[in-house]
Amino acid sequence: MAKYDLERFSILIVEDNLFIRALIANSLKTMGVGRLFTCEDGGEAIEFLKLVKTDPMKAGTMTIDIIVSDWQMSPVDGMMLLRWVRRHKDSTDRFIPFIMITAFSEAERVAEARDLGVTEFLSKPFSIESVWKKILAVIDRPRQFVHTATYFGPDRRRQDLGHEDGERRTLDDRSPEVEIIRG
Amino acid sequence: MAEPGVKPKVKVRFYRFQNRLKEKAAGAAGFKGSGEISADLLAKAEAALQQMSEDYPDWVSKLVDRLYEQHRRCVDTPGQRRSFFEELRRVAHDMRGQGGTFGYPLISEVAESLYQFTGPHSGQSDNHIEVIKAHIDAMRVIIRNRVKGDGGAIGEQLLKALRAAIEKYNVK
Repeated sequence: MAKYDLERFSILIVEDNLFIRALIANSLKTMGVGRLFTCEDGGEAIEFLKLVKTDPMKAGTMTIDIIVSDWQMSPVDGMMLLRWVRRHKDSTDRFIPFIMITAFSEAERVAEARDLGVTEFLSKPFSIESVWKKILAVIDRPRQFVHTATYFGPDRRRQDLGHEDGERRTLDDRSPEVEIIRG
Repeated sequence: MAEPGVKPKVKVRFYRFQNRLKEKAAGAAGFKGSGEISADLLAKAEAALQQMSEDYPDWVSKLVDRLYEQHRRCVDTPGQRRSFFEELRRVAHDMRGQGGTFGYPLISEVAESLYQFTGPHSGQSDNHIEVIKAHIDAMRVIIRNRVKGDGGAIGEQLLKALRAAIEKYNVK
């Protein structure tokens, strides 16, 4: 199979736990990711993302390709960061892939993150294989973004599985109420 | 159907972009289908994780010391238990997220229990403080004896003792 080279990737890791932060950074670096940036909570991450936009020289990068963020942090947690990235008017890239790290106790809350536009979940405890699989999913299987009155984020339907209660989507690509933006 | 000539209001926007990350990863020539990184790199990353796992017991011992320190303060200064509980909970949160990754799921389990036990609505009686100590003692045993995985019989015994302590002091 053809090989990927992550040398040109810039990844932002947002994690309050020093040991886990070092672990993720170390793992991604060993996998060949060119540039890694770390923040200790969502607030610091927001400031950093703004800096990338306003002063890339100072930030040390022109762009961030992927955000890998823990969920539980204080004062600004992963969900607040995700909301800012996807919805805030000052957000620097509303389409950026966002991988949320979740602990086992947060399993019931994943729908909440999905509805805020999360791209992938990485559950703790994690292995090298699981970290790589999530990065690979982001590279190989990007989804279209959907913007409706109530949602903005990657398409929440990953597969066309058919639905027991019938198709609830009333619009498709040909509907005049649908606008398709390509870029 | 919309009236001819009248454009209905847009309700849904689909954004379909070129896959720039794939372009970055696959290089100038590019290729179709899925890619991978070399098995060698993954093996190196795995080795780095193993190396960190070896340091984990030392690291977590320091956190256990911090828990004991907070426990001692709870005993010495009962009036300030609320703030000590917050610190206990913060450390427990750190620990519950780590243990499993480094081969110590029992640490995660006990830390999770401690985290739940020290929540904002938890009681702060002397009995509660005893149960907190039972949690920290269990963690120390796990680390000192390097009880990995589910710990087998020892693991079961530890969790049983912890549940018995919670039962004995009849606190929630």
